[in-house]
Amino acid sequence: PPPANVGRAPGPPDGGWGWVVVFGAFVSIGFAYAFPKGIAIFFKEIQDFFGTSYSEIAWVSSIMLATTYGAGPISSILVNRYGSRPVVIFGGLLCGIGMVSAAFCTSILQLYICVGFITGFGLALNLQPSVIIIGKYFLKRRPIANGLAMAGSPVMLCTLAPLNQFLFDNFGWRGSFLILGAILLNCCVAGALFRPIGAATALVKTQVTEEGKDALKEEVTKDAMEMSSPTNVPIETKMEEEGGKDCCEKINQYLDFSLFKHRGFLIYLIGNVLMFLGFFAPIVFLAPYAKHIGIDEYSAAFLLSILAIVDMIARPTTGIIANSKWVRPRIQYFFSFAIAFNGACHLLCPLASGYTGLVVYSIFFGLAFGMVCAMLFETLMDLVGATRFTSAVGLVTIVECCTILLGPPIGGTLIDTFGDYKYMFIKCGAVMVLAGTFLFIMNYYNYRMLAKEEKERKAKEEDPKSVRTENEGGNNWNKETVQDRLELEPLREEQEGLKKEANGT
Amino acid sequence: SEAMTTTRTVNWKTQGSPSDHLTLGDNVSTPGPDLTTQEFKQATKENVSNLTFVEYEILLPGVSATSMEKNITLDSATRIELSCRLDNKYSHLKSLQVTWKRGNETIRHINKTENSWSIQLRILDNSKLGSYTCTLKGEEEISAMFHLQVPKIEGKEKPLVSYEGDSTIMICKSFGYTPITWTWYVTNGSEQIAINDSLLAEKYVINRVPANVTHLKILKLTKEDDGVYWCEAAFELGKSKGKLKLKVLSFMVPLKPFLAIVAEVVILVTIVFLYEMYSKKKEKRAGDEKEFDQVEQLKSEESNGLENSSARHRKI
Repeated sequence: PPPANVGRAPGPPDGGWGWVVVFGAFVSIGFAYAFPKGIAIFFKEIQDFFGTSYSEIAWVSSIMLATTYGAGPISSILVNRYGSRPVVIFGGLLCGIGMVSAAFCTSILQLYICVGFITGFGLALNLQPSVIIIGKYFLKRRPIANGLAMAGSPVMLCTLAPLNQFLFDNFGWRGSFLILGAILLNCCVAGALFRPIGAATALVKTQVTEEGKDALKEEVTKDAMEMSSPTNVPIETKMEEEGGKDCCEKINQYLDFSLFKHRGFLIYLIGNVLMFLGFFAPIVFLAPYAKHIGIDEYSAAFLLSILAIVDMIARPTTGIIANSKWVRPRIQYFFSFAIAFNGACHLLCPLASGYTGLVVYSIFFGLAFGMVCAMLFETLMDLVGATRFTSAVGLVTIVECCTILLGPPIGGTLIDTFGDYKYMFIKCGAVMVLAGTFLFIMNYYNYRMLAKEEKERKAKEEDPKSVRTENEGGNNWNKETVQDRLELEPLREEQEGLKKEANGT
Repeated sequence: SEAMTTTRTVNWKTQGSPSDHLTLGDNVSTPGPDLTTQEFKQATKENVSNLTFVEYEILLPGVSATSMEKNITLDSATRIELSCRLDNKYSHLKSLQVTWKRGNETIRHINKTENSWSIQLRILDNSKLGSYTCTLKGEEEISAMFHLQVPKIEGKEKPLVSYEGDSTIMICKSFGYTPITWTWYVTNGSEQIAINDSLLAEKYVINRVPANVTHLKILKLTKEDDGVYWCEAAFELGKSKGKLKLKVLSFMVPLKPFLAIVAEVVILVTIVFLYEMYSKKKEKRAGDEKEFDQVEQLKSEESNGLENSSARHRKI
């Protein structure tokens, strides 16, 4: 009889079509992050046209950013239900529609709706699925894939800024919005590249191939890492077998609120929420600060270009470093270090005198910024696993939304109150160093707890009786998982070596 | 850059002085002996109407090829003193003849101190503005120039782009000086025609408040509105213009790139999906072949296994 290896999907391909998906994610993520910053070029003209104050215009950008982050959970639910591809294509269409209708707006309120809400929502439907699908296509080379995809943001910003200026000079703001709507439709192309893979297309094949075995071992080690709470087992076909479920499980199927009991997730959430208070404000105020200390407008703008270029290079490089066998098992420490490094840069900024000092600051800031961004989603994936990442990213973004929006205004208030930029830099630096230290300590604790739980789990497996009683208890462990664990007994010996392989390479 | 120092001292009465000037008390001097009757009358008028007094000085570094220049902006009637000072290192130079000129007109009454020569002027209207030169003739000739001008109004280099049927707003600002009034002109061919906003109220709306900013709103744009516009600020001492350009496009203009990009998106998406269907078919064919081979292999394995077990049985 053919050996039973039923229902196990092959593991992430870690290459092949995956790199095409990375390119699609590059485009999608690039638009999502760069677009709100890029349209600032039109604000002066629109402000004059509608006769409003600058802060009323700046709301357009804020609403867009808030919607992009706040609609995260909706994005997650849709991806959980339909997969990444349809969501991104729909997001692209929404962005296009939003900007095209913005071209015909006759009041600032209509702009808030068209540019702020509709386009912002479309970008949200682009951002989350792009990040999610990388986790589905990559495991061993995931940090590199993440680093490359996140590099889309600075590249798009560098492209959009001069493009927007060109469009504005030739077509005015209305024509530019029309054409930008068409450009945003390219997100649909990126979405078309996101071929579905993994659990949704799990094929029940009776094949015993080498790939299948290796993937099996990797899934085992992944499960070992997710010891703290029962996983939402990947294969949806099993859920249909289950039949009647209770209400909680239904909600959890769409958005996994049980993540709030996940230790790693909570650590990540608290650390990141703290970090975002000081993350974006320095970028917003870098050019005004430069002008304040007497540097001319073009050199001040050039500082931001330096930042973007260094950022562009730093992201894939960080991805490669994070993928190396020394860093990958301890990636959370690397992330904490990057955040603290960022904070240290800001704390030292007030000491920078003159243009050269600011150039040095921009270079280091670009480096630190790129490092943090490249690993932003990679660390979350590392903590919760690819399957729960869909819900995790949605929950994280909506919570971060508040602090992201608060950061620059708090910085602005500090500058207005004290009349000096250095307090804003000190505040940002202090907050980030604090966040980095917090993450470092808590992740050290988390790693130790994970290692302890791993030992306990191994001890349990050696006793088949306890496994069966657990099954009867119906503790969310359905039949398949138990069968898997029984199957895996012969492979247990090889686990140690394989775990290192899966984590390190 | 040029080593020149200028001193600017302003004395005036407290009423109506801009905030960035010092109040040193009033220093209204009586008219001098060289004034005509008319100037005397004007001077008396000035004494009543708080005239400002400013001093400007150019320090001449010595003989140099470049001539020293200074731009002075005046928006209202002013008494001004212009002086040329020679650097101390040249004080040994004797027999220097100094002349002050405006164009071809020579100005008499030069006040001389140790090594500076100055003139005092009353700028009451446009006619007194211009370029004043001081020339020091010794062995070599050194000169410096003061340009007295009304404040400049900046227009926009890049044209404002708008669309047929839409409206647009053009803005002109005056920095630092408040004009008495603003006038807008539209260029028709080679003529400049003033825009009468009360006459054409459905087309043009002019906003002149606050005083140093003006807005021209043009409604229901057509192709004919395309062209050059001027905003003119009138000051006590003259007028100054700023140039703005308006481009009116039809909506077809951005529509073409828009449709081109949409077409590109549709084509790319179609290509991606077609390629996916094609590669899926290929995979399926390959998969079917593989399965067939594997079934064959399993069959042969089974038969081998049976043979082996029977062999073992026999052995035992």
